[in-house]
Amino acid sequence: MLMQPLAITAWTLTSALGAGRAATLASLQARRGGLRPCDLPHSPRDCWIGRVPGLETLGLPEAYAAFDCRNNRLAELTLSRDDFPAACARAAARYGAAAIGVFLGTSTSGIAQTERAYRERQTAASSLPPWYDYRHTHDLYSLTRYVRARLGLAGPALSVSTACSSSAKVFATAARHIEAGLCRAAVVGGVDSLCLMTLYGFRSLQLVSPKPCRPADPKRDGISLGEAGGFALLEPCGGNIGLALLGCGESSDAYHMSAPHPGGGGAARAMRQALLDAALAPGEIDWVHLHGTATPANDLAEDRALESVFGPGMAASSTKGWTGHTLGAAGIVSFAMAALALEEGFLPGTLNTRRPDPTFSSEILLENRPVVPRRVMLNALGFGGNNASLVLGHAGRID
Amino acid sequence: MTESERKLAELLVTTLELEDIRPEDIDPQAPLFREGLGLDSIDALEIALAVSQHYGVQLKADDTANREAFASLAALAQFISTHRTTAA
Amino acid sequence: MDLAIGGIGCIAPGLVGWAEARPILGGDLSYASTPLPRLVPKDLAPNERRRLGQITRLALSAGQDALAQAVTDASSLATVFTSASGDGEIIHSVCRELARPTPALSPTKFHHSVHNAPAGYWAIARQDHAPSTSVSAHDASFAAGLLEATTQVKSGHAVLLVAYDRADPFPLSLACPIIGSFACALLLYHPATVTAAEAMITLAIGPAEPETRLDIPELEILRRNNPAARALPWLAALARGGKTRTVLPYLDDRTLIIQTRSG
Repeated sequence: MLMQPLAITAWTLTSALGAGRAATLASLQARRGGLRPCDLPHSPRDCWIGRVPGLETLGLPEAYAAFDCRNNRLAELTLSRDDFPAACARAAARYGAAAIGVFLGTSTSGIAQTERAYRERQTAASSLPPWYDYRHTHDLYSLTRYVRARLGLAGPALSVSTACSSSAKVFATAARHIEAGLCRAAVVGGVDSLCLMTLYGFRSLQLVSPKPCRPADPKRDGISLGEAGGFALLEPCGGNIGLALLGCGESSDAYHMSAPHPGGGGAARAMRQALLDAALAPGEIDWVHLHGTATPANDLAEDRALESVFGPGMAASSTKGWTGHTLGAAGIVSFAMAALALEEGFLPGTLNTRRPDPTFSSEILLENRPVVPRRVMLNALGFGGNNASLVLGHAGRID
Repeated sequence: MTESERKLAELLVTTLELEDIRPEDIDPQAPLFREGLGLDSIDALEIALAVSQHYGVQLKADDTANREAFASLAALAQFISTHRTTAA
Repeated sequence: MDLAIGGIGCIAPGLVGWAEARPILGGDLSYASTPLPRLVPKDLAPNERRRLGQITRLALSAGQDALAQAVTDASSLATVFTSASGDGEIIHSVCRELARPTPALSPTKFHHSVHNAPAGYWAIARQDHAPSTSVSAHDASFAAGLLEATTQVKSGHAVLLVAYDRADPFPLSLACPIIGSFACALLLYHPATVTAAEAMITLAIGPAEPETRLDIPELEILRRNNPAARALPWLAALARGGKTRTVLPYLDDRTLIIQTRSG
């Protein structure tokens, strides 16, 4: 199956590294990570987080007050950088607002509001407080509804919620909707914000590191959670020769709800499918942005998957040590890192990692490397054994 | 089955929502995981949580030192009685 | 967009399985609401099954009901799971625990909190490595899921759509007013690849117009208050057979128009 490449005509990212592309790039180049000791109210203290500063005081436009929650505030902050709304307005003028789809990933949406509402209850018989608005905040579609309204778009829309693969899978969803003629262009991306459920939940799975996470390190001991938002605008390529989505691959592990298949079989399947979709051979990929969460099991399984697809020695990095694991936003964070690699000509290294696991077959980059890659792959692997891989490159490029 | 093993077996059946298994069906010497009761890594974490709440004893599921504690119902009961700090 | 329907699943009180639902939705038998039995999804090992909450049982059972009538090979199927609400029981239980001074979350409950938990269990039960997505679009969740599934149907690639929603426990139920339990599933094929099908359909997004309703009062109430049950008028059209046009709600004031031709 071959997909028509789609031009990525605008994108933006906000994470613990900063708001917008320039801030993200500056942090990466200065080797300045975004993790800090966990300081969210009511949260466990024995972990590090990638927190986006300023969300507590950020307000939404008055007409959107009902949507107010940490997740939609992060969406709003993300939208405010890199002239992303202006790019969408230009696309709307070109294709019509109803011809632009909006497909966004999130795993927990605005659940922090529900957590707060439950905390305010006096007894088990109490209702939730009057300020609580499920539909505009906690609801999984709230994010997509908010962003679609803020951008003035009216095409097909949905939220994808497949845990940590959510905001990678939206690229495949958008490509299919465009191919089927349901829309001509699409906004994709995702937003996931820190909440108590994931902070305590990953802790209960004994998957959280007490230190800043160290992906692919032989002494790696778990994840650091983070939050992020990111968006990209996908359009038909036309004569465009810029950044492009070349292929998407998806698969299921069919193994376990919260443990990866030890051999990385599911991840390898998604990676091979993405290559097939892009009509590329493994040797035509120069670098892989790993899912690389820094749990012992995930990183090992993913390395096995890389070896089975590319053979030994594939150059690869994880950026979870910079931003933390942003769950439903992990796909769009990986996309942004891969896009920066292609556009700025450098491969980000794996922060906090002292040395690569000697049992790994891939070449784990620790330092930033000044290389202009031709094409890159990114992985997003989620609970439920849900895997997605994307191939990015330049449209119309002939090697 | 000792009294403490029986109480622990009841906790396992309720916590893990074991289907068609009564506490007295659990062989105290049989392995809890895989070929025994067929439990997995999530069950180990769930048991660790229940044991910490009921007995105040901390278990880390991937800790080699604690692995023996998960060997069987009898081993787990023994581990709890050795490390117990609070009353059930 | 043209599709062939190769299998239909339906699970709701009084409509447990398409074999029971079909004559009722088709108007040949009268409807009586009876409480749902405890659903036991097949194919899943008892050790996986024991952990499932009601909503996952509901979704998996609907999928298996559709598969039981598969007219052609369904050994590997991409899946689209769509639900507005997801698992409210888990959210309630998790948020209640998080409100305590020192929360101790159940690891099982936490890993079941993901929206794609039913999809994950489906893949494990079927040992199917095909792609799977889990989506949500509030009251338009069924229509959005059907469109997403339709875009995945290719020659030789069937897709299973499962839509499910269930009332949340108190106090979430007051904030998220979904009622009852409803799940349906549809096995979708490329029209060129099947010789025998339940029905052939053509889908299009349309402008505002009145939605198709149900003439069974209790089910009409379910339809209005359970996003997955927005599918019911179309299931009734499939049950009646012949040529029909169904209007389902989509985003904003737009609609999803389904032309159905049954054999």
